[in-house]
Amino acid sequence: MRSARIFSGARGAPTRTRLGNAVTCAPAYLILGMWSVFTVGAIAWVVLGALKTKREVLTSGWSLPAIPQWANFGRVLSENNLGLYFVNSAFAVTISTFAILAVSVPAAYALSRADFRGKEGLTNLFVIGIGIPIPLIFIPVFMLLAWLRLTDSLTGLSIIFVAVSLPFTVYLMTGFFASLPRELEDAAIIDGCSGSQVFWHVMLPLARPGLLTAFIINFIWLWNEYQLSLTIINSGEKRTLALGLYALQNALQYTSDWPGLFAGVTITIIPTLLLYGVLAEKMIAGLTTGAVK
Amino acid sequence: MNSKRLIISFLAPATSLYFVFFLLPVLCTLYLSLFDWSGFAEAMTFVGPKNYVRLWTDPVFWLSLRNTLLILAVGGAFVFALALLFTALIDSGLWGKKLFRFLFFLPNILAVVAVTAMWSYIYNPRAGLLNSGLRSLGFDHLSKTLWTAPDNIFWAMMAAIVWVNTGFFLILLLAGTDKIPKEMYEAAALDGANIFQKFFYVTMPMIWDVFVVSFVIWIIVAMKMFEFPYAFGLIQIPQQLYTLGIYLFIMGFGHREPIYQLGYAAAIGVVLLALTFTLIFAARRLFRRAALEF
Repeated sequence: MRSARIFSGARGAPTRTRLGNAVTCAPAYLILGMWSVFTVGAIAWVVLGALKTKREVLTSGWSLPAIPQWANFGRVLSENNLGLYFVNSAFAVTISTFAILAVSVPAAYALSRADFRGKEGLTNLFVIGIGIPIPLIFIPVFMLLAWLRLTDSLTGLSIIFVAVSLPFTVYLMTGFFASLPRELEDAAIIDGCSGSQVFWHVMLPLARPGLLTAFIINFIWLWNEYQLSLTIINSGEKRTLALGLYALQNALQYTSDWPGLFAGVTITIIPTLLLYGVLAEKMIAGLTTGAVK
Repeated sequence: MNSKRLIISFLAPATSLYFVFFLLPVLCTLYLSLFDWSGFAEAMTFVGPKNYVRLWTDPVFWLSLRNTLLILAVGGAFVFALALLFTALIDSGLWGKKLFRFLFFLPNILAVVAVTAMWSYIYNPRAGLLNSGLRSLGFDHLSKTLWTAPDNIFWAMMAAIVWVNTGFFLILLLAGTDKIPKEMYEAAALDGANIFQKFFYVTMPMIWDVFVVSFVIWIIVAMKMFEFPYAFGLIQIPQQLYTLGIYLFIMGFGHREPIYQLGYAAAIGVVLLALTFTLIFAARRLFRRAALEF
């Protein structure tokens, strides 16, 4: 199916109707083009606005900033603490993402390969988690972390990040392991490998593409989420970047410092844009495999 | 992989984290909803179904429920109409399929707070993209609209939600069309089918199962809607933007001043959970169809 996906762009009517195709396709290009231009344009407007003065943002429209105001970035990074929040997010999200993989990959492997009583039930229990609305757990999670003295801490936040990401990641990786051939494991067992050796030396290297997919999907969604941070983090200096941007937006609506806000937006979206730019195909493939069996 | 010890050591970390920090809190919400409780140092009073009775007569709860269901139904109609249209167009054999997929999905990888900041600027009364665009097209009257005024803000937010989610459901549907054998389109083309006939008689039946899964995912996305409207409304979020998730948060943690009606907030959560799973089961039943063999 992989090859089909790569070449599917070339699918279409036989060559003799290519010219006719180009004419009938014009409205299609127009509609798709408008949507694309709007998306790219809106993002570009914001990034461009980050380099303008307060006045320019309101008056200059699409023109380039007269003098790029790099100071906007410096201001939000230091005065509005976005620099600190960036580090907080990088710390909490990276640790959480690795932890998610560390616990969910072995679990997914066991769910896809081992035979034990209650396997179906446990798999279903993980799948159900995908459908549970996160707001439901706001209050108990806060109580639980308060009991563990972990509220208002990035450690506490990271633990919850891991817990809520497990259902999707286990589901994704179970599907991935199920798609790998069994013959290699059988061969390794015949060669005298133990169960855990098979996992570490045979399956894990094979699962590397799946691990990368799970990593970027989790990293991007945790980098962007702010509802759990809003619930768990109280003090200013422990905010994640998304939460910090929310606070910045609240503060700036009275000062109408749009360039400052746009600089904050730019800082927030750059890491995910870079990851997506490099690994978009992997991410999209990972998100869609579950829906298309 | 069949030694008991190994299986347990593989499953234990994920399972225990999931049970303690996700499933246990869910059960805890069910339990809490039967109590009157105003905070961590206070005593809990068992009140039975009182919180649910109060929900029944609470206009703000009904407004939040209405908004959530409007996102589900109206937002869903737009998301799927657009996603299906774009699927048909992108899949009609034109150049740049991967590029379009890349660009349409793009809003989904941006932080929600970044997206709401962007849209609040689009809707800015004077300098915003929307009103200045309308002005340059000559719609002077329309260009004076205050898009984020109380009467308009819900629909203004809805437009942004549709913009983000269309791309997400588009990639799901496109992944479905990738699996359709090419010969089916060639056969349809030989029979003289046009773009729309191909879509309705080949594509749609072939991706029905993907469509159903996508719709179930949309139910989940719409019902738990919290981050987008909450960030769009900012600190003075108007009730016009309340969803069930937001009302839960506000009754639990307060708004500008604390409220701490934890039992009541939990009851909102239970309704949210029950409604989500009821809708999922209903959708699965409604859309069920014999598996298509090919």
